[in-house]
Amino acid sequence: MTDRRRINGPAGTTIPPVFEDEDIKHDSKVVKGRSRAPDAVRRMFLKTGVTPSASGSAYLEYESSAKSGVSGLKLSCTVHGPRSLPRSSPFSPHIVLSTHVKYAPFATKQRRSYLRDPSERDLGTHLETALRGAIIADRWPKSGVDIIISVIEGDQDRASSNIQGDETWDMMNVLSGCITVASAALADAGIDCVDTVAGGVAALVQNAGEDSTPTIVVDPIPSEHEKILGACCIAYLPTRDEVTNLWFKGDLSASAMDLYTKLVENGILASTSANRVLVASLNETLA
Amino acid sequence: MASQTHLNLSPAELAYLHASLSLTPPIRPDGRSPTQYRPLSAETGILPGTNGSARICFADGTEAIVGVKAEVEKTRARWDDETIFLEGQEGDEGAEEDKEKEQGGNREWVELTVEIPGQRDDDSGTIFLAQMLSEALLADGAFVERLKINRGWHWKLYLDILLISPPLSYPLPLLSLTTHLALLSTRLPRLKSEGDEDPFFDDDWAAAPHLYPKDRKARPPVTLLVMAVGNNIIFDPAKEELAVADVALAVSVGDSAERTGKTAEDEDMEVDGRKLRLLSIRTVDPPSRLTPPGVPNATNSAYGHAVAGPQQQKMPEARAVESEAVEGVWKAPRGGAKLAVMGALVQKVLERGGVADEVLDALEAVDLS
Repeated sequence: MTDRRRINGPAGTTIPPVFEDEDIKHDSKVVKGRSRAPDAVRRMFLKTGVTPSASGSAYLEYESSAKSGVSGLKLSCTVHGPRSLPRSSPFSPHIVLSTHVKYAPFATKQRRSYLRDPSERDLGTHLETALRGAIIADRWPKSGVDIIISVIEGDQDRASSNIQGDETWDMMNVLSGCITVASAALADAGIDCVDTVAGGVAALVQNAGEDSTPTIVVDPIPSEHEKILGACCIAYLPTRDEVTNLWFKGDLSASAMDLYTKLVENGILASTSANRVLVASLNETLA
Repeated sequence: MASQTHLNLSPAELAYLHASLSLTPPIRPDGRSPTQYRPLSAETGILPGTNGSARICFADGTEAIVGVKAEVEKTRARWDDETIFLEGQEGDEGAEEDKEKEQGGNREWVELTVEIPGQRDDDSGTIFLAQMLSEALLADGAFVERLKINRGWHWKLYLDILLISPPLSYPLPLLSLTTHLALLSTRLPRLKSEGDEDPFFDDDWAAAPHLYPKDRKARPPVTLLVMAVGNNIIFDPAKEELAVADVALAVSVGDSAERTGKTAEDEDMEVDGRKLRLLSIRTVDPPSRLTPPGVPNATNSAYGHAVAGPQQQKMPEARAVESEAVEGVWKAPRGGAKLAVMGALVQKVLERGGVADEVLDALEAVDLS
């Protein structure tokens, strides 16, 4: 569906010139590759209660990478509700959850339109699955809650001219951020959950130079690695030791099941570190 | 989403279904074994106007058709394509050849749409299905590689998936199997031009080669829907079974025999013929989370028990009582799934000689007209 209300420029029909600058090229060579340990996630900033008009809200920002031109993911989430459902809607014994993930038009290298595209709707569905397991839905019959997330800035490498395949892997990072920030906003809104759910990503990557041994890293930035063979995003409830959402994408041999298991374990590791930030931030608001 | 397909089952019916599915062995409402698929009839090549098509009809009356259409398209120059900047310089052949090897397909070359009657095409459930099916197809990059004609041109493939019956059950397995068959039957005109010339095709349709040649091992991916109830793993759940699922996963597996970088393990597997690859896993939100809870006798005023008064409601203890599970009274599952359960589901799908193997074998037996 096209956006008919606004006058939009041509959608990606021309190639903007990308000039090769000697300095930049030299610079990017220096910090090429991952600067963190394989099991270290980026630092993040989480604050709840940033939007006064919403019943719950949170803001999440990831640390910018050492490389110039790559800024961290910035997410803002608002929760509206629980509120009564409109009269026309059928009876529901549980809370009706609706999730809405939208990239700001300027969030990524390629401009997004005002209308949600399939990948954004897909993210919304994943988020809904992750949160539905955490919310104690039967405490609010006949009511609904809207969770709205805007991606203010995605973490893409703007300096490099290489765009191939980054977006598909970026979606995993965005989803894990969405889960964490939505969980904080739900807690801020005072909606009962079984636990605070947080998202984590682990990926199987092949770095430049070393061909033979793929390694597993948590919280990957696609532009830092030569090739990503597979990645998984996990929504994890630490106190119950349960997974509410698992999303794996990649290409693994069926005989390499131990690799898959390790990937999932690392995803949980990333999720627990995100959860520590989440709990610390919630404790701060109480104090 | 699965949850939107509304099902009117009472808490008592749900409790009964859940109990019978958690027995060992589980008793399914339609009498199938846990790994058995619904019987189906399939045919290919039903739409003469397409490059490939298939129709599958499940015994429960759900039916889907898939048409694959291909168009020749000029490959857009990419931002990282070195040749753009080298314009005007002497073309060094070696470098360009390297580039050609690297430059694989692009995921924009495949467009997949799912149409489900009675649902808007921007419904999140429909989009989830479409994204899941295209994700499996694009996962290994080998599929788009097939669509390349030469450096300047490629095929653009449109996969249109139509569910022509009302969605009586979660249509994922049906749509995936139909897509698989349609891709198997897809043929693209034989190329007559050579190298980087503008493409020119043979107009003899009989000479058109298949997108997936019969003599090669590679096959398009299939997505299997698998769910767990208690300790039981159940494949291809019907609607009533999904309504009591603890966890449901959609697992996409592919079978690609020709791959570079084979390991010793892979060589062993080749003796058996099929090398399964795990392409994608997604958690499907089970509709069981939206089912109405049952009321245990202990709190039912119809059985002469006192209803909690207003003072009692305010006490925190009274709220805690609500979450206590009573044997035989249905309660919507809360929380997620244990990691071990999810691992077992994936393991069961991928095991050699398991369901994925069986399904791929069965689909191979379909006559490709």
